[in-house]
Amino acid sequence: MKALVIDDSRTMRRIVARALEDLGFEPPLQAEHGRDALDQLEAGAEVDLACIDWNMPVMDGLTFVSQVRANPAWRHITLMMVTTEAEHGQIVRALAAGAHEYLIKPFTTDAIRDKLDLLGLVPAEEHV
Amino acid sequence: MTATVERDQVQAIAQEVFAAMIDGDLGLLLPWDGDLPTIDDALVAWVDLHGDWSGRAVLVTANDTALDLARVLLDLDPRDDVSRDDLVDALGEIANVVGGNLKSLLPTPGTLGLPHVGDELPPLDGAVRAHHLPLSWRGRLLVVDVWVTTPLNPKEIP
Repeated sequence: MKALVIDDSRTMRRIVARALEDLGFEPPLQAEHGRDALDQLEAGAEVDLACIDWNMPVMDGLTFVSQVRANPAWRHITLMMVTTEAEHGQIVRALAAGAHEYLIKPFTTDAIRDKLDLLGLVPAEEHV
Repeated sequence: MTATVERDQVQAIAQEVFAAMIDGDLGLLLPWDGDLPTIDDALVAWVDLHGDWSGRAVLVTANDTALDLARVLLDLDPRDDVSRDDLVDALGEIANVVGGNLKSLLPTPGTLGLPHVGDELPPLDGAVRAHHLPLSWRGRLLVVDVWVTTPLNPKEIP
């Protein structure tokens, strides 16, 4: 499985990437904001899952989700928001824009595993 | 503000953030017990909240404590060097998560600014400190403050 972690915090990118690797993902690609992530996808990056922060400079996570959903070539990519935006209205906006799942910071590795399990993205050997 | 977000809620948010992101255990961030020492060589991280309710969530700790927090977050060994960029990013992200969870408790939607980190806290016009929580992280002082600029009701200022 290949993932792309999009967050303006290098610390948070490392935390999410580490959790994904623990769950059997390849070392994830990383992007500092939505535009950076789109550039990587447009350059041909192969991604099964994108974990996306909401508040970022240059391009926020919601705009990134809308842009990905507007491109049929990227329809296979699972989009999971990973953000501090916890209000119900924000969650609804993200899901309406095309996000598949929503994980609120702070989170544990178990919480990521549960979300990815729901999405069918946890490798079989990780199931206990 | 005090009618909107209570002191205990702020403390619960801080403890949840530290348990999930740093310690894996709720019991390692506790109310400070005893006289408050002066924080020499302080590092301050803050994030502003904008909307019907505006304010600021602030984290203050000693530079050495911030370095150890960064090492835990970045999965480094206790003796590993931490770059200034990593230190700023790590402490800023803690403030960001605390501020984001604080925002989720407010009655009306708002927006969260990007986190900032510095050696001192810049003034926030018209702000009053609504909550001041000296906490102990593994025996070391860490302060969480909440500042308010536009309370929903002036009577809510403590």
